[in-house]
Amino acid sequence: MGSEAQAVTSTVAEVPLSRRFGRIWWIALLASGALVLLLGYTLVSVTILGVGVWGVNIPFVWGFDLINYAWWIGIANGASLFAAILVLRRHDLRTAVNRFAEGVALFAVICAGIFPIFHLGRPWLFYWTFPYPATFEVWPQFRSTLTWDFWAISTHAIVTSLLWYVGLIPDLATLRDRARRKAVKRIYGVFALGWRGSVRDWAYHQRAYRLVAILVLPLILIMQSTVAFEFAVTLVPDWHETRQPLHFVATGLAQGLSIVLLVTVLLRWGLRLERYIDEGDIDLLGKLALASALVSGYLYLDEIVSALLADRSAQEATFNRMTGEYAGLYWTAIVYSILIPQLLWLKAARRSTIAGVFVGFSIGVGIWFDRYSIIVGGLQMDHLPSIWRTYSPTLAETGLFLGTVGLFAALLLLFVRFLPVISMFETRHDEHQEKSS
Amino acid sequence: MTQRLYGIMAEFRSPEALTDAVKATKRAGFTRLDAFSPFPLSDLAQELGVRTAVIPWIAFMAALVGAGLQYGSQYWMNAVDYPLNVGGRPLDSWPAFIPSTLIVAILWAGAATLIGLLLILRLPRLHHPVFEVHGFERASNDRFFLCILSDDPLFESAATRNFLEGLAPQIVREVPACA
Repeated sequence: MGSEAQAVTSTVAEVPLSRRFGRIWWIALLASGALVLLLGYTLVSVTILGVGVWGVNIPFVWGFDLINYAWWIGIANGASLFAAILVLRRHDLRTAVNRFAEGVALFAVICAGIFPIFHLGRPWLFYWTFPYPATFEVWPQFRSTLTWDFWAISTHAIVTSLLWYVGLIPDLATLRDRARRKAVKRIYGVFALGWRGSVRDWAYHQRAYRLVAILVLPLILIMQSTVAFEFAVTLVPDWHETRQPLHFVATGLAQGLSIVLLVTVLLRWGLRLERYIDEGDIDLLGKLALASALVSGYLYLDEIVSALLADRSAQEATFNRMTGEYAGLYWTAIVYSILIPQLLWLKAARRSTIAGVFVGFSIGVGIWFDRYSIIVGGLQMDHLPSIWRTYSPTLAETGLFLGTVGLFAALLLLFVRFLPVISMFETRHDEHQEKSS
Repeated sequence: MTQRLYGIMAEFRSPEALTDAVKATKRAGFTRLDAFSPFPLSDLAQELGVRTAVIPWIAFMAALVGAGLQYGSQYWMNAVDYPLNVGGRPLDSWPAFIPSTLIVAILWAGAATLIGLLLILRLPRLHHPVFEVHGFERASNDRFFLCILSDDPLFESAATRNFLEGLAPQIVREVPACA
């Protein structure tokens, strides 16, 4: 037993504790750091100059900001949902991917949160959404989906970060106890809060962790639906449909899974974690990504059928999205999020690193185009022909989007560098059970 | 010289050895003991009589408070304090108040459970007598420890030490109390 557990802990723990981390990591961090600078620049420019630097205008009041918001929040929700299901099912895959599925969710929600705040135009007044006793003596309008979203994003950020941190505490204690340098020991020690690994503490810890994981499940479903309601409650012909929440939940799960798949294969390759994330895990993730892509495909079909049954203006608006000015977006979404994932029917593709990266990336890109198609393409044929125009993002918007991608990558790289990417205590537990059975 | 003790601790190589030792210790009549392990041992927690039923109650009560507060404030703000007529909808538009009520209930339940967990475990507590024990750092890696606390009615430093030695541990060490 002793030597086995030792081996697990050392490989995973050596990663954050090692002094050097290789050149690729530095190059990746510098590249994403440059994008974070770009993010800072675009945020400052939109704060000083106002949303006029964006290409948004009536009817496209929601351009890149909402596209990217909906996209990031989909990743956050999909990854969280996946992590919660694994914990609930006590699935073996949980040990291998849970920690960074939660990490992906947390970093994505941070990226998502930037957009609605800056979309307000006066981001420094964002707290007006919170019901505080203002001098005007008015309150937020709670019948609006936008206020629901305020609660949803902040709840997601708070609950996911707490859950992630509480799950990390025992592993931080392991790092504290294994660190060789005093300063490193102190830093991990402070964050480990003095965890001693008492059997009593473990019992409470596991109960609380599982319970909050259960709570995340309904939160994600409500939250992703809320995002969809933001579209469904408007009178825009293509958006005003009860099927929107289902579309957003299903494609959101596909997105979350695809990014988890992407990160999993990259980490497995980069950190040589083949022993902890075995072929079976990768295979299963690939199958899940494929299944979720098929569900998305079903929902794209459902979109067509609903349009056929809808009134004429809704029908025209939806078909315009598939054949009109923005048809390219729609078909790109189909190709990337439905057709390319079909590669995963092949066992060899599910087990290959390159194919995993390619398909994971492709689903992510596909759903991004789907959001673009819904938000921009869907608005193009509104009820009033005099406002039929087109929208294209400006440099400030593209920079903002690339900046959040950089922020996400940078957070992920720092996480990989300084924290254990795999739950060490869960791995010890699993290996022990395997041995004794 | 007699040093004040926090307890006496025995080190084991496997969870099975620890579980057997805990059973033997309980049979011997000791009541104040603590076990340390690098991963959760639910059977042993039961053996030690750990009851975690308070956790779901914390979550449930916090959810009720959060839901009540959110629904109540939405109702009071939009229907009583500043009646807001939006397109002729009823002032108490309960279906529209439900989503954020559920979300905030989850916020309260999640935050209360996890913060409550830290309070129950009395963390953060960066220093603790057990950390003084040589070799205890392996409790977070691959070793299992049993500690009989000095406030146990049967505790008697030499006798307890002998008893623990009899359980075939790797080593037995004294845990000095904090000054």
